[in-house]
Amino acid sequence: MAVANARLAMVGGIGVPVLQRQQNHFFYSFMAKNPLGHSLLRARRDFSARSTSSLLPPDVPRLAETARIALTPDEVKEFAPKIRQVIDWFGQLQAIDLQNVDPALRADAESNNLREDLPETFDNRESLLAAVPTYEKPYIKVPKVLNKD
Amino acid sequence: MLSAAAQNPGVLFLQRGGRKLNLQKCRRRRRHCHFQAVSSSCSEILTIRKSLVSRERKAVEIAQQYLNRLRNTEPLLRSFLHVSQNVMSEAEQIDRKIDRNEQLGPLAGVLIGVKDNICTLDMPSTGASRILRNYRPAFDATAVRKLRDCGAIIVGKTNMDEFGMGSTTENSAFQVTANPWNAERVPGGSSGGSAAAVSARQCVASLGSDTGGSVRQPAAFCGVVGMKPTYGRVSRYGLMAYASSLDVIGCFGSSVTDAAILLQAIAGHDRFDATSSKREVPEFTSQLEPAEFLDSKPLKGLRVGVISETLGDGVDSGTVSSIQAAASHFEELGCIVKEVSMPSFSLGLPAYYILASSESSSNLSRYDGIRYGNQIAAEELSSLYGASRANGFGSEVKMRILMGTYALSAGYYDAYYKRAQKVRTLVQKSLKAALTDNDVLISPAAPSPAYRMGEKKNDPLAMYAGDIMTVNVNLAGIPALVLPCGFSEDGPSGLPIGLQIIGAAFDEAKLFKVGHIFEQTLQGFRFVPPIVDTDI
Repeated sequence: MAVANARLAMVGGIGVPVLQRQQNHFFYSFMAKNPLGHSLLRARRDFSARSTSSLLPPDVPRLAETARIALTPDEVKEFAPKIRQVIDWFGQLQAIDLQNVDPALRADAESNNLREDLPETFDNRESLLAAVPTYEKPYIKVPKVLNKD
Repeated sequence: MLSAAAQNPGVLFLQRGGRKLNLQKCRRRRRHCHFQAVSSSCSEILTIRKSLVSRERKAVEIAQQYLNRLRNTEPLLRSFLHVSQNVMSEAEQIDRKIDRNEQLGPLAGVLIGVKDNICTLDMPSTGASRILRNYRPAFDATAVRKLRDCGAIIVGKTNMDEFGMGSTTENSAFQVTANPWNAERVPGGSSGGSAAAVSARQCVASLGSDTGGSVRQPAAFCGVVGMKPTYGRVSRYGLMAYASSLDVIGCFGSSVTDAAILLQAIAGHDRFDATSSKREVPEFTSQLEPAEFLDSKPLKGLRVGVISETLGDGVDSGTVSSIQAAASHFEELGCIVKEVSMPSFSLGLPAYYILASSESSSNLSRYDGIRYGNQIAAEELSSLYGASRANGFGSEVKMRILMGTYALSAGYYDAYYKRAQKVRTLVQKSLKAALTDNDVLISPAAPSPAYRMGEKKNDPLAMYAGDIMTVNVNLAGIPALVLPCGFSEDGPSGLPIGLQIIGAAFDEAKLFKVGHIFEQTLQGFRFVPPIVDTDI
């Protein structure tokens, strides 16, 4: 939950990526200023498979933006029906009475296995740095983070 | 309750009669086979150990034999993404140790394949993903380090569905692996390369990982033994995370003994994985007695539950009859066999896919092209992420990340992720109850034998449905052993069928014991694909 919220907040804070605007012919462009609100209206019309009306079907371009995967229009066309099919199939769980059931985070695992939270030196430091695609000693180089807009 | 064939041993005998010729052929061959087992356990690991200790053979000879077979069969099978350059030099080191009369580890000179999502220091580890092409980890996974500490030779990295997402190994970014029994068919997945490599005797044993059946289903498709241990039994340190609450490292071998020896080597607590258990690891192999020491009812009183939902509609008839024959075989061994109904069984499948895709959407966010992996240059950071991930991930991975992103979205979390977690509670309770009334549960490992390549590639739900036999075990975190129990049909076109034996948490020892006795007493089948016969 926290992860999802954090990502959504991040998406809201960053505008339309520069690269995607420049390469509109290749990457799917997320032009809508407010992709969430825009797509909700369109999605509601198509939604019929489940009984729970508050749940809307997946809006693939918006999900792709949230997940930071620049899909091509062809991929959106290919994935959308498949993803919708699977999400509809997930919907069968809505019909089960689970009111008095506690959620299980994982298998019955043991607790108290945490080690002391102390920093340790990793021996193979050079190998870690060698894996960095763009490294300019002593920095990991990335393009600019803030958008001009 | 069981079918007529299962109730009537006479019918069973007739069914197996057709295999008699094969058995004789098998015995004839074995006389000339280097790996003729000293005991009837047919353990390749113990055979290698005996021949090394007795100085009958050298580690380099054994390694060369496997490498030759690997080179001969690899153009057809494509099980490996990378083959180590150090196999012969490591074998020479073992031979020098023997010359100096030094102590040998339990896996000395044993060639082991490692699934490509398990990190190895001296070899690429890509998870069969383009985003990690040529990636070399800075450390060995704990399981790999433990294998090396036992003297094992890591022969290479095996092919898989990208990051474990798939059931056929067709989702690898690099190559498609063929089933050694029939090269037009899939080896299963996601650990398809590890299963095919052991089946074709390209290596002695292998490591895989099992999030929803990724060790057990390919073991069944390739006719080898696969062990999915209890969640927490083996450290996940160095295993590329797919769905952390479900992932376990598992073992493949050509016999139950080999799978047990392998698990023995890798099990136990690890300070680098807080979910790894501190429970003591029992001696798995001490209970595995050779067939000649078994009495006529070696499993007398063992309560075996056949999960009735796993033999219903939609399950291949050859699979059903093989499992019923296995149930009847357990009765002959003295077991009390009953049917067990588990109404929540089918709910486990959508719950599993919700949990796995949700966790994967979070886990795979680490592949952003910044600290490691392949980067697509861009002028702005989020474009770099988007382009690197678009270029690096395959379709199935993209779709699962998107589905998981959807299921975890604000407002949808309760409807999907939380409900799936509640279903996990139901599944855990029902399996626990069934394992209180029964010592073990049995089912097929997959609803059908290996199917044709491409058959389910464009139909995700048909593909996911194939995991119905295995996902509940992951949701409950309990162990299960898969071993071959029959063939889909007589004759050379027959494909192996896998029996799944499910046990209580941390009771792998019982599974090995039961599986071993089953394996030793099952007559008339030989689970070595014809491709191996040509050079053994």
